[in-house]
Amino acid sequence: MSHLKMWEIMERAAAGPYCEDDEFLYDIFLPKMQEVLSKYEIRYDPSTPVPADDDLADRIWKAAVEFFLAVGVHNVDTHRRILITEDELNEALFLAPEVHQVGAGHETRWWRPRRIEDERGPFCIFSPDITYDEDIFLQASMAYTQEPLADGVCGPILEESIGRTIHSGTPAEMAGVMEHAMMLRNAAKLVGRPGLFLVAVGTAQSDTGQIAASSNEWGVRSTDGRLIGVLTEMKTDNELLNKVVHCKQFGCAIGCLTGAIYGGYAGGAEGTAVLEVAHHLVGLTVYQHNFNNSFPFHMQHTSNSGREMLWLVSMVHQALARNSRILSTSNGFFNAGPGTDMLFREVSAHAIASVVSGGDLWTSAPRHNKYRNYATPLEARLAAETGHAVARQGMSREQACGIVDTLLKKYEGEIATAPEGKPIQECYELMKVKPQGWYLDMYKAAREELAGLGVEYPY
Amino acid sequence: MSTVDELVQAIENGEAARAGEKARAALDEGADPTGLVDTLSVAMRAVGDRFGTGEIFLPELMLAARAMQSAVDVVQPALLASNAASKKVGVMVLGTVRGDVHEIGKDIAITMLRASGFEVYDLGRDVDPLDFVKRAEELRADIIGASALMTTTMPAQKELVDILVAKGLREKYHVILGGAPVTAEWVAEAGADSWGEDAAKAAKTLEEVMAGKRAGAGE
Ligand code: B12
Repeated sequence: MSHLKMWEIMERAAAGPYCEDDEFLYDIFLPKMQEVLSKYEIRYDPSTPVPADDDLADRIWKAAVEFFLAVGVHNVDTHRRILITEDELNEALFLAPEVHQVGAGHETRWWRPRRIEDERGPFCIFSPDITYDEDIFLQASMAYTQEPLADGVCGPILEESIGRTIHSGTPAEMAGVMEHAMMLRNAAKLVGRPGLFLVAVGTAQSDTGQIAASSNEWGVRSTDGRLIGVLTEMKTDNELLNKVVHCKQFGCAIGCLTGAIYGGYAGGAEGTAVLEVAHHLVGLTVYQHNFNNSFPFHMQHTSNSGREMLWLVSMVHQALARNSRILSTSNGFFNAGPGTDMLFREVSAHAIASVVSGGDLWTSAPRHNKYRNYATPLEARLAAETGHAVARQGMSREQACGIVDTLLKKYEGEIATAPEGKPIQECYELMKVKPQGWYLDMYKAAREELAGLGVEYPY
Repeated sequence: MSTVDELVQAIENGEAARAGEKARAALDEGADPTGLVDTLSVAMRAVGDRFGTGEIFLPELMLAARAMQSAVDVVQPALLASNAASKKVGVMVLGTVRGDVHEIGKDIAITMLRASGFEVYDLGRDVDPLDFVKRAEELRADIIGASALMTTTMPAQKELVDILVAKGLREKYHVILGGAPVTAEWVAEAGADSWGEDAAKAAKTLEEVMAGKRAGAGE
């Protein structure tokens, strides 16, 4: 946790150097990115989706630090840049805790930073990352909270509350936010895990909504966490900073939500990797986070399981793991929908690439993170089991690279035409919170395929 | 390499200053301003296509669009002097609706539309429906574009159309809606005119719309 005080950040957010949007992008962001990419000679190589290149990781880190210090964070409400000095950044890196405590009671977790090829398993947050129908919210949330490898759960998002469409920023949002918080807690209690670390609530879009959900009695507890986004790219606004101030005071864990866009302002895999590491530095200093949710995604596909995406996911986590104690959950975004072999392969490739690179897991968003009800806990389970297995067996980056390459060759040709799969209602017997038999068989077959490739599952 | 070829190259490389210089040089050499703008549009469309296929990325597209703009700025007075019809395809206001901060899709749409010759005003994000209408009136726009990335903010797109109806302005504007959750059905339900399924398709649709408008106005 940074020594920088919240009021110092807020002062800079209001009175930092004046800068309009176009100037920020054309005169500051784009040239600085070009400069660091060529200075540190960062190059993407499609033949190694999981590189074993410590020097490259360190160059990406240095490029990100230089980029972050020069560019800062643009507050689009005040048109001011929040600039952090090198000393402040170094102090924040020095002070980053060796361990964070989250959750409560028997579900308390001590969350420690992982190293590259670390034999300790990843911290796993299970999440559908998507909206569900209101009438399945509780049961579907229980399907997630019951997952044995879930160290934390981020529940589905509501589009309706008590049968009425939620309109952003209205009392309906407040109602939905409270309903979400209450039901998610109940989903944890009903499976016998009342203290489970919940990252909530995604239904809250406004700062007011996020603040309204904080309650140690019925809502988001101080032992839980929340996500606060960084705007695309290297930007924030007063609403997001309001959430930060509230969470600092309330005491819950802050998760900084960052998804650098491949093909966007940072360009290709190289720039997107540098930008995503820089986003983590925004989390560390400006949002004073406890962890990051990192979801870099491909602009056309809204996914991160393609070859160039896995390369950058791997490099982001290697850069962080070698140079900091920043906790970062690698959030999988996939092309195929649930109940397809392709999705099982995508989640596994992403989990392997992330975990051997020192990342934790946040899993996961199928079908381009776009279609209601299209996510299930079973693909998340496979990701977490595979992540734990490769950590435990001490898998090297070289071996991981081979397995990931084999998996990629099976699905990368179908990224643009990935199968839609099925919604959770068809994959699960939801009332009983149980995967359908055919679905379990498919998951077992996927596990067998991975075992054949060299993943040693402990059970 | 001819001056026009150099101009095209400057646009493809996103060199704004050079594009301006080469446009001036081409005019000095006697190039026909209308033909010149057509050539630039073809070049820009090719850049747009390369962006669509993922061959180049957003910064290249944006810099090319900027270079295109600086060339057009140079050619514009000559165009007007030669009495040719203005090549300005149409005037548009575009923003992300109230309550919604998702803006990369909107930014891409703006870049693609500017690259296709539209004069696009970026209203930013979290924009009140009434502000879309007020800005469109002030700027004498032809088109209003609204982006929404959440089902919970899509209602503001309909609110915008309802305000146009209430103010008796509905017929004056073409309203196009975009953003991942938006569908053709929603466009119909909201009472808007077209769907910006993606930025490239939107540019095509709106070019046709404007061509229709001009034909309707007897131009
Ligand atoms: C990136 C992202 C973010 C970033 C946004 C950064 C930014 N400033 O843009 C961050 C992290 C900040 C973010 C925040 C949130 N997000 Co968000 N986000 C996304 C995500 C993953 C991708 C969106 C994106 O950029 N796509 C890439 C662009 C290129 O695509 P596009 O926008 O569709 O645009 C294309 C076309 O649609 C078209 N187009 C778009 N607009 C227009 C307009 C016109 C006129 C035209 C012609 C064309 C056009 O052109 C573009 C190019 O072809 C989506 C999921 C998804 N698959 O869409 C969720 C998603 C939109 N987010 C969601 C949510 C819930 C949130 C939060 C509320 C989370 C939270 N609790 O804090 C907040 C929103 C706060 C707020 N008040 O707005 C949900 C919305 C659910 C719902 N109710 O509908 C989604 C759908 C995820 C999900 N499946 O649950 N998010």
